[in-house]
Amino acid sequence: MAQDFIYLDYAASTPVDPRVAECMRDCRESGYANPSSNHIAGRVSRANIERAAEQLAALLNVDPATLIWTSGATESDNLGIAGAARFRSHRGKHLVTLLTEHKAVTDVFRMLEKQGFEVTWLKPEDDGRLDPAAFAAALRKDTQLASIMYVNNEMGVMQDIEAIGSICREHDVLFHVDAAQAVGKVPIDLQALPVDLLSLTAHKFYGPKGIGALYIADRPGCHVEPILFGGGQQQRIRPGTLPADLIAGLGLAAEIAQPRIDTDHDHLKNLRRRLWAGIQGIEGVLVNGNIESGFPGILNVSVEDVEGESLLLELEPICVATGSACNSKSQEPSYVLRALGRSDLLAQSAIRFSMGRPTTEHEVELAARRYREAVARLRDLATAAAP
Amino acid sequence: MSDDPYSPLVRKHFANTAHCGDLAGAVAVNIDEQGIRLRLSATVNMGHIQSLRFRAWGCPHVIAACEWFCSHYEGEPGESLSGFQASDIMCNLSVPVEKTGRILVLEDAVRSLGQRLGGGSAP
Repeated sequence: MAQDFIYLDYAASTPVDPRVAECMRDCRESGYANPSSNHIAGRVSRANIERAAEQLAALLNVDPATLIWTSGATESDNLGIAGAARFRSHRGKHLVTLLTEHKAVTDVFRMLEKQGFEVTWLKPEDDGRLDPAAFAAALRKDTQLASIMYVNNEMGVMQDIEAIGSICREHDVLFHVDAAQAVGKVPIDLQALPVDLLSLTAHKFYGPKGIGALYIADRPGCHVEPILFGGGQQQRIRPGTLPADLIAGLGLAAEIAQPRIDTDHDHLKNLRRRLWAGIQGIEGVLVNGNIESGFPGILNVSVEDVEGESLLLELEPICVATGSACNSKSQEPSYVLRALGRSDLLAQSAIRFSMGRPTTEHEVELAARRYREAVARLRDLATAAAP
Repeated sequence: MSDDPYSPLVRKHFANTAHCGDLAGAVAVNIDEQGIRLRLSATVNMGHIQSLRFRAWGCPHVIAACEWFCSHYEGEPGESLSGFQASDIMCNLSVPVEKTGRILVLEDAVRSLGQRLGGGSAP
């Protein structure tokens, strides 16, 4: 079926790379056995998983044994945060995170608060970045875990993971990073980065939906208690039969991503530059986040005097997001943009353009033109209706 | 698409806002409530609505509702506006229930316009 839309929502999900799809198809046909089974078919399935672990481990520069397969970043975040907080709870119950984290992180912290943990919610700077000094000031003697995302899913803001992680190490605080938007797109060397727990999901880097992983550093004091029960798989940390086909797809997606991260980055940077050049002249338009230091695959803009839902409809057939995809059915202004101090109206008018490997210059130029026209039309509709 | 939040009529009226604008020398009402801003203006001739125009800042349902209202009430008796009910538009355009408050703002604006027309202030 021919596409009758322009997809600029790669931060929500990416298409499966055809090579990944083929790999998964092969795996379903020949590697369908339960990988926990000891017969020859089970061993074939297990070999597919082991190869995928090596592929992902190579992308992150870690030992494959430090990777736990999950159903995606949401589960990884839950396991990493709740599991580590509970594991270290005998030492202390203070936790630190950022107001602009994904719901998969913030909701876990809210749950932990109800269970007796104390959470410090840090507010980012106006451009969305967290000042490492402010982070350091929030740590206490009883702080056990901090969670800060690598690339913000709404704005593309990139945090200084190295600096924040170093502070955590100095204070013996476990450091969890939600890297759902970063893995496969940003170079990540976990031998060099002081990160203890890292969440990822395949469908953000051209792999399948329904599969992710949690990295757990192999160092003293770093461990998680399970949040699911029912079997002894994966070192008793995460039970359940492993989906070998999805894992194989994730592994290949990681292998495909590794050598092209720089090329992809340059491609996205060029696209974002063209997109911004096409819309920056609109009166009252402003960037949410930081265009210089942010991840180039995301451009989030708000515009004055335009209603967000009408803007989204007027932009069709350009597929963009008004905020986090998980939150897009809500009419509530984005809590992430509100945390940056945006008014309800500006937050509600926010549009997130997110580009990917298949995005062309023509597509972003068309999107920019459509955005200009949409803003002009909606403002014309409202002229004289202003109080 | 099965879960399209907009009915075909909403899409049609949102895309084709032929009645967007202002009328010189018309009776007009402005309303700014519940996060939407509306301006309705009307001219009458022999007790009948000759022309209707709107300006709107709001969601697609509000804009489509304004267009639907204008296109359906031109030529109708002026007094018909005081009987205007939001439920007509909610039903015709399949407006979701969570948008009821916004359509009620339009109802207030239309009835207010009807009162002003009935007051003899039309040209």
